[in-house]
Amino acid sequence: MTGPTDFELLELATPYALHAVSDDERAAIDQQLAAAPPSVATAFRDEVRAVRETMTAVSAATAAEPPTHLRTAVLAAVQPDVARRSRWRTALLAAAAAIVVGLAAFGAGIAMRPSPTPTMAQQIMAASDVRTVSGQLGAGTATVVFSRGMNAGMLIMNNVPPPAQGTVYQMWLIGDKGPTSAGTMDTAAVTPSTTDMLTNLGNSSALAFTVEPGNGSPQPTGKIIAKLSLT
Amino acid sequence: MTTAVAESLSYWSMTGPRHGSDLDALLRRVAGRDADAFAVLYDRTRARVYGLVARVLRDSGYSEETTQEVYLEVWRTADAYDPAKGSALSWLMTMAHRRAIDRVRAEQAATQRESRYGTSTVDPARDVVAESALAADERRRVVECLDGLTDIQRQCIEMAYYGGLTYAEVSQRLSANLSTIKSRMRDALRGLRNCLGVP
Repeated sequence: MTGPTDFELLELATPYALHAVSDDERAAIDQQLAAAPPSVATAFRDEVRAVRETMTAVSAATAAEPPTHLRTAVLAAVQPDVARRSRWRTALLAAAAAIVVGLAAFGAGIAMRPSPTPTMAQQIMAASDVRTVSGQLGAGTATVVFSRGMNAGMLIMNNVPPPAQGTVYQMWLIGDKGPTSAGTMDTAAVTPSTTDMLTNLGNSSALAFTVEPGNGSPQPTGKIIAKLSLT
Repeated sequence: MTTAVAESLSYWSMTGPRHGSDLDALLRRVAGRDADAFAVLYDRTRARVYGLVARVLRDSGYSEETTQEVYLEVWRTADAYDPAKGSALSWLMTMAHRRAIDRVRAEQAATQRESRYGTSTVDPARDVVAESALAADERRRVVECLDGLTDIQRQCIEMAYYGGLTYAEVSQRLSANLSTIKSRMRDALRGLRNCLGVP
């Protein structure tokens, strides 16, 4: 028996399979499916499966090689020691991906300020208000995983080119009283995966990067080359 | 590398009797926390996954992040894969597509997305990889099948599947009623399925 409501439900199988329904509508469809006669639910699922297999075949047309550094990052995430860390808060996949790269970098002794402990990173990850923000920095990416509650964050830079000899990258927390230095990185400190801890976020609304001469400046003198909003 | 790429491009090689069961077996090993199997799985499927994600997101930074999230989800949920519900590759690509769509909707760059709506063709990736004759054939065949759709069918797929619009948004865009759009989507998928010979 297929009534009008069942027909309407079946009409939605294709958009549902294509992820072309809103979150609310998807939840409503899932509910209707649970209550639908088994024959209708089966027909719906068969259609969803056929659509997804078809689009999987279609994905031959869009195949493109990812950059090789992505492989390193993806595989680093499942190394036995770090996988354990990333499991205790599995919902935060993006953050976990970033942190795992960061933790791998700790092992290599890359962090350039008083050794940040994984415990701090874990505490940030476990914080109920943990957030992630990413942006371009040169040819690479800078990501901050932070918690306002912890008043701290973790910076992960992937594939950011080192600053020219004789200059440093300087990080600035931008607060309502202007920029405060959050540390520097010289040429040797910047590697394909570089991490740093950010302590005392205070009321800062952004993390900015400049290139500064020598060992850094009390106030930014170079132009801002990247800015990550922490709001 | 060329071998991995060639393999990674062919749907039939990855869902057919021989390699399809290979991907199933790899996923089972990944579910058992086998990092080597995970690396092989990544190499077999990375071009598919990244290519689709990049096609939706159109930004290499977002695409890399999202691809990374996809594979972490694979690592975390491989034990939930049920071969009775579809091929391993389809399970993976569905996950990749879902994450790409979620990301594109989350991005507030609505104005950037505007410019994509008008596109009515599904263009093959620009960064064409070294591929085997088999994979090149497959790509051609898929493009031919897409060309075989009517314009409105292709637009529906373009706007929804690659553009991240819901069918309701597509209907507004095309000033067509909801049932029409649902029918066009269904017809488009049936056309593609028949043309591609997907069981």
